[in-house]
Amino acid sequence: MTALPLAARRSRRLPKLPKRMILPAVLLALLIVTPFAAPLLTPYDPVQISVRDRLAAPSWEHWLGQDEFGRDRLARVLYGGQVSLTVAFVATSIACVIGTLFGLIGAYFRGPFEFVTTRLADVVLCFPPILLALLVVTLFGPGADTLVAVLSILYFPAFARIAFSEALRVSALDFVEASRALGTPSHRIVLKTILPNIAGPVSVQYSLTAAAAITIESGLSFLGLGVVPPAPSWGQMIRGARAFMNQDPLGILIPCVALTLTIYAINFFCDRLRDTLDPKGNAGGKDVTSVPAPGRAPVQEEADVIASVRDLRLELRHPKGAVDVIEDVSLTLRANQCTALVGESGSGKSLTSLAIMGLLPGAIRQADGALHLRRKQGGMVDLGALGPKALEDVRGNDVAMIFQEPMTSLNPIHKVGAQMVEAILSHRKMPRAEARSRAIALLELVGINEAARRFDGYPHEMSGGMRQRVMIAMALTCEPRLLIADEPTTALDVTIQAEIIELLQKLRQDYADGLSLLFISHNLGIVSEIADRVVVMYSGQVVEEGPAQQVLTDPHHPYTRALMESMPSAHADLHSARGDRLQAISGTPPLPDARPSGCSFRDRCPMALPACAEARPPLFASADGSRAARCIRAPEAQEAA
Amino acid sequence: MLAFLLRRVATALAMLLVVGTIIFSMLAIVPGDPAELLLSTGGGSASEEAIRNLRLEMGLDRPLLQQYLTFLGDSLRFDFGTSIVDGSSIAEAIALRLPRTLEIIAAGAVLALLLSIPAGTLAGLRAGGRFDGITSGLNALLTSIPGFVLGTLFIYVFAQVLGVLPAGGYVAFAEDPAQHLQMLILPAVTVALHLSTIIFRMTRASVLEMRGHDWVRTATAKGLSRGLVVRRHILRNALGPVITVVGLQLGILLGSTVLVEFVYNWPGLSGLLVTAVEQRDYPTVRAIILTVAAIFIGINLVIDILYSLLDPRIALQ
Amino acid sequence: MTEHFPTMTPTRRTVLLSLGAGLAAMALPRGGSAQAGDQVLRFGLSTFPPTIKPFDNTGGAANTVKLMLWRGLMGYDASARLQPELAESVDWTDPQTAVFKLRANAVFHNGKPVTAADVVYSLNEITKEGSTAYLKSDLSILTAVEAVDDKTVKISLSAPSAVLLDLLASYCCPIISAESTEDAPIGAGPFTMKGSEKGVYIEVERFPDFYMEGEPNVGGIRFIAYADENLRYAALEAGDVDLIEYLPWQQFDAVDASDTLEMKSTLGPYMFLLFNVTEGPFADPKVRQAVGYAIERQDVVDAAFAGRGTPLFGLPNPQGSPFDLADPAVEWSYDPEKAKALLAEAGYPNGFDCRLLATATYGMHQDTASVVQAYLAMIGINATLDLPDWGSRVTSGKEGRYDIAVHGTSGTYNDPDSLWPLLYSGNPSYLQSFGFKSERIDGLLEKGRTTTDQAEREAIYKDLAKAYFEEVPQVPLNWRIQAYAMRSNVTGFESLPGFLNGSSAYALDDTKLG
Repeated sequence: MTALPLAARRSRRLPKLPKRMILPAVLLALLIVTPFAAPLLTPYDPVQISVRDRLAAPSWEHWLGQDEFGRDRLARVLYGGQVSLTVAFVATSIACVIGTLFGLIGAYFRGPFEFVTTRLADVVLCFPPILLALLVVTLFGPGADTLVAVLSILYFPAFARIAFSEALRVSALDFVEASRALGTPSHRIVLKTILPNIAGPVSVQYSLTAAAAITIESGLSFLGLGVVPPAPSWGQMIRGARAFMNQDPLGILIPCVALTLTIYAINFFCDRLRDTLDPKGNAGGKDVTSVPAPGRAPVQEEADVIASVRDLRLELRHPKGAVDVIEDVSLTLRANQCTALVGESGSGKSLTSLAIMGLLPGAIRQADGALHLRRKQGGMVDLGALGPKALEDVRGNDVAMIFQEPMTSLNPIHKVGAQMVEAILSHRKMPRAEARSRAIALLELVGINEAARRFDGYPHEMSGGMRQRVMIAMALTCEPRLLIADEPTTALDVTIQAEIIELLQKLRQDYADGLSLLFISHNLGIVSEIADRVVVMYSGQVVEEGPAQQVLTDPHHPYTRALMESMPSAHADLHSARGDRLQAISGTPPLPDARPSGCSFRDRCPMALPACAEARPPLFASADGSRAARCIRAPEAQEAA
Repeated sequence: MLAFLLRRVATALAMLLVVGTIIFSMLAIVPGDPAELLLSTGGGSASEEAIRNLRLEMGLDRPLLQQYLTFLGDSLRFDFGTSIVDGSSIAEAIALRLPRTLEIIAAGAVLALLLSIPAGTLAGLRAGGRFDGITSGLNALLTSIPGFVLGTLFIYVFAQVLGVLPAGGYVAFAEDPAQHLQMLILPAVTVALHLSTIIFRMTRASVLEMRGHDWVRTATAKGLSRGLVVRRHILRNALGPVITVVGLQLGILLGSTVLVEFVYNWPGLSGLLVTAVEQRDYPTVRAIILTVAAIFIGINLVIDILYSLLDPRIALQ
Repeated sequence: MTEHFPTMTPTRRTVLLSLGAGLAAMALPRGGSAQAGDQVLRFGLSTFPPTIKPFDNTGGAANTVKLMLWRGLMGYDASARLQPELAESVDWTDPQTAVFKLRANAVFHNGKPVTAADVVYSLNEITKEGSTAYLKSDLSILTAVEAVDDKTVKISLSAPSAVLLDLLASYCCPIISAESTEDAPIGAGPFTMKGSEKGVYIEVERFPDFYMEGEPNVGGIRFIAYADENLRYAALEAGDVDLIEYLPWQQFDAVDASDTLEMKSTLGPYMFLLFNVTEGPFADPKVRQAVGYAIERQDVVDAAFAGRGTPLFGLPNPQGSPFDLADPAVEWSYDPEKAKALLAEAGYPNGFDCRLLATATYGMHQDTASVVQAYLAMIGINATLDLPDWGSRVTSGKEGRYDIAVHGTSGTYNDPDSLWPLLYSGNPSYLQSFGFKSERIDGLLEKGRTTTDQAEREAIYKDLAKAYFEEVPQVPLNWRIQAYAMRSNVTGFESLPGFLNGSSAYALDDTKLG
């Protein structure tokens, strides 16, 4: 499936402080700046004792009251923050610089450097952090300097590890190899090329470490091994106030709250930073699907119709309102027929097919239209009328799907056979052994050698072509009537592509009687080999449809024509495995929320008329009803034919 | 597998040697005389002569290099020797204390796993939803409260104000099972709360990441029930990173229980270490550090093996 | 400030003693099972005894446990009066010879009677070459210890001693059986060792053949170590223990207000400052005197001890001492002007910088240091705090790596002679100002110890107070109130006054659990 045309995708290209970072950044800045603005906020000296006023309640002069020495608590909590934060951030910065350096050197120069870096880190990691800190501080005497030193030693291995593995990853990238080959000096490559590329993970580690350092600093001060009094620190304030906890709960509450709040702010910042730098975490799961909606259209009951899509409209829910990603799409899929769905990335072909599977991503809602499917028992059903349980029963059983990326579509940690067997067993009641032999038979059918051995193998032990065969075998386990293949060959190399197409052709003819195949591709060369009918989609709409032979030899829509012209020769196209950009015309398809008025193709159309801007053209059916095109000039073209 | 194990054990021994040497040299340069300390416990005074005699008894008059070689030799034979303070067997003391530290860690870990794996999974599956919002918020708050603060608060509330649980201490299980468990509650809960925040985060993030993989869609497309998809194709995959984090944390906990043990007067290994450091009981300090480091290395080894069992792509090297 | 002197009624054991303990302990009803007397008293210790060896001093917790297991010739009653223990009587035949008659019914835990040979053995263990005993140098005045007969011991001294009986009553001077081994000393105390776990607890159980009839009054004592004072108190409040030592000062009010808790307190140890007099400004006694005038001692008491203590301005003459040495002429006061004047006189009109050593291990040391630091700053002495852990603190103190140091301690009996280890320069330790040596003070201490006439001794110690004030081996700060707190069902326990507070475990003989 191609990526969703989310608006967010566009803004990610612009480097600016993302909105979700503003709140944590402000909160964190506030909590860091406040302690250092202490002289502006309170006139009191945090170490000035006034024993007569010990444990005084809050007053106008002392907003938070006075502690067990009569010192002003507000001043102490503010200045204490300075100490705690300084220790934590200085230590973290030192650890970060040293650790990153170690990691970079180890990863770039390898050999003995790598050994030293990783082993040194391993030795330090043998000591549980608090224990090491405790030991060192007890032995060398407390104080901010000792704390900074011990925390730096404690945390540099974490930085070294991250910098090392990230740098290793980056070093292997093409542009680094290239600059190396060009003879760029090492330090330039490391500093100018590698460092910026590992900054993300390192900065996340930085905030994590800062939070941990504050916790450890306060813990040690709590044990009396941290900052030396009378200089205040939060841990020390807690230690002091603990003895008076039952007389004066405020005393222990204040530093606890300050400590908790600060750690919270850093963690909060860190979480958001991670989400922003590494957005895959919130891409949304592929397990949550939006439920098909019941359609108003009557069920089409022609006997050879396996599935039909009527006036489908899908909208993307968006904070600024819903956007139609699919508009007014209708399809009829018949038995023994291969329908090809053709279009550029983002044209909506994958979404249409997912809608038929009831696998639409959670953010997309079926706003209008109807999805009908013929079940093995019981005739045509409206997918929208089925409950979740019934939908599960339909998937894989009545309709199955093969995805574009065979490398990622199989679960790497389960055996291939197990993944097939679980599919069989969730639709058929049979003994495990029988399911096993059935799966092995299917693997043989799709042309896998030593099927029994492969059955017990893992996906990573197979090539891409083999995995796609497994995917096909898996799709066939329950003899579906409709098989959807979403760019099944795009990710494979050319010879394998041809084999897979051949396999699909063979299966259609020999294996499943009456199988309807929905074949999604941007590759007209492959389409011409396999398809009976062609449906061309552009920007969420069907722009042309008809018998494959006719459409491909005499396209009626200028977009179809452009697609044809972008295909230099059938052979060459097979080589451009991922060439889903049009070469014949410039530009890219408009995003759903930025479609031009009227015909959505007119901006790129070489033969656009002023009238094209006026209204969205309907599908003009040909005289015999076998073809249709969404272009106001289609009738001319049809007549010309 | 055997070759892998042999190599790992050899590396582990080499690392322990380094750790032992570091500790030995660290202790050698540290101020404080165990003999004088012992005889001036609590501020008493001791005569020069008594201190000298005691140093002799403790064997501290031998040259440092000789002490180091003896230490290495003994360690290789797993002979930890005796405490220089009271002459008791160090191995016995560790054997007595270590299980208790492991007990609160284990009890805490079990509680934490029971609490945070389901919650983290649910939050990950419904990321952005209300449950996720509440649990993630609560989690962020709990993460931010240091263990000793939590412990202090717990004692105040449950022991002093409500009086429902003991303020701390330890009774052997064999002696009084009910009281033993009562005393275990607060330390275990304190450890668990801290640990669960980490496991929760990791589980949630891992589940969230696994949900985004293509194979999850494949599994749904096959018609597997939601439960199966979640169990086999999300949770099972998410477990790897979670186990790594749990393992790493268990190792770290061996040390960080020191604050929990301190707050609750739980006589575990870290308490023994703290006392030994205070008394400058060098052999005991060294033995404990080596033990902890060995366990730490052992845990890492177990994690690596577990991980390779969980994810067949990872070969043991 | 009301001082809590224990009001004394003669206890059962003192009465019994005067009757002469004729009843054989064997005849005592074993256990008295129906009574509450079989219950185990749970005692919260402030620290776990690092070792329990009869003659070494390894801290208050160890001494408490030692008194349960082993007893010496002499002891104290609950009002801190000297009492014979294993001895039945003592007879001074001349100022340098004492003859002790041993109690007829005293038996060791192995069932064998306590004999003169055991006394000779024990005292020899202390004084022998290579011993690490606490009293080794103090008891070097013993010229001979002889067994006159099975139950009679004659002790000869090189000089008269005013404190021999106090020394013999020390928890570091028990009589153990000559059959003892190094690892298994056999004593004759009220309890026998039942079990222990290093760092956690020590449990003792009643020795049925103890020589005092009807004692002890509990079936056993379980000593549980709570290193953290707040937790120790929490454990008492929660009912996890019956009795704790070192009640944290912050909790005195809470105990006062409580219906279920009680406390027994007394002025005991004292806090003071030490100086490195080998170099720098503090080599000048005037500067040390200035420090004496610079500190508002009530603030130390209030801040570090929650107001529980009394300021101390001169020689620390313990509560319960036979002499009254108070004299404003040889005492400091809080007088910052005078302090500044003295500093100026010594050549430091603008003050100076220095290092103030205390320890983070003990909150009271740290808190005292904080207050002292603040007051020194007021007269221009800028002290940087050095707060290593206790172990490093002791070494720093002994090696003189400080300018001023905070310390707190107690003598071991209620006599000015008890200040000997703190002031006598013949035995330098971290408890003394580094490099301080005064023949005048040493001479007075020696004279006080070997003089037996109390009036003469009073005059000597008055001179000592003057020398103390003038030469400033220490700057005293305050007496600490030391308290034991207990649940109200604990009766009969007393906190021994003054320097004997550390020997309060003697009162556990009379303690009952109601």
